[in-house]
Amino acid sequence: MRGGVFVGGAVLMLAMAGGGFVRGTVARGENASPVLAQPAAAATSQAKTMEVKIDNFKFGPEALTVPVGTTVTWTNRDDIPHTVVSTEGVFKSKVLDTDEKFSFTFAKAGAYDYFCSIHPKMVGKVIVQ
Amino acid sequence: MTNPFDPKTVFLAKHAQHVVLIHFPIALFMTGVAFDAAAQWSKRQELAAVAGYNLISAAILTFPVIASGLLAWQWALEGQRLKGILLMHLVFALVSSLIMWIVGWVHFRSLRKTGDLAAGFRIPLELIGVALVGLTGHLGGFLSGVNSPV
Repeated sequence: MRGGVFVGGAVLMLAMAGGGFVRGTVARGENASPVLAQPAAAATSQAKTMEVKIDNFKFGPEALTVPVGTTVTWTNRDDIPHTVVSTEGVFKSKVLDTDEKFSFTFAKAGAYDYFCSIHPKMVGKVIVQ
Repeated sequence: MTNPFDPKTVFLAKHAQHVVLIHFPIALFMTGVAFDAAAQWSKRQELAAVAGYNLISAAILTFPVIASGLLAWQWALEGQRLKGILLMHLVFALVSSLIMWIVGWVHFRSLRKTGDLAAGFRIPLELIGVALVGLTGHLGGFLSGVNSPV
């Protein structure tokens, strides 16, 4: 009986670990072409893609100004999992492992506040003009 | 603003209350070790009994803490790959729990029989346990963001 409980526990743990391994489907950094974050003024007249790095428990840049239609890509550079979640519920990433990316295209003008739902002290903002 | 007394914040929290529950076995274990050291130094049986009850309670409480930790991994971290700090936290937590179970069992035996069971290696093992618990908590602090640099 006692042995059965231990075996059951081990199987449960392995099953949970397996679930974790299966889920990593978001694009990895090494397979994607890097997009450098640029100053807000330059951003408005250039590419429609911007990058925000998540590093050392910070979104960088913390505030980003982009034109309508821009796709913003967040990349987790930390060894710790993070998320990117809009305060207003406009977008929400899955939990991002190291080097995983999340992208969202801003089709409407406005100010979009977001945070990491695992570490709510981490906040950022995208201003779409 | 979230109401901290809303039952949903208790029962539906994605961390599965792991960050709350973890404090109980840590406090009981450290208190128990302090009492055990005092008991061995002063040779007072009642202090050894206090140490025993604390350490046995700590060992029992590791079960809900491990369960809530596994749930937090699945819910809050969505079953992230076990690597880096997350993997170290899990491994150190399981080793710490194993030490707590061994220490708890030794004290359980001591409470049932009179006499000092395994007195020679008990305190060193308990001190290793305290160090591991501290290290596990430190890593857990990074996962929860408490130890973040900003």
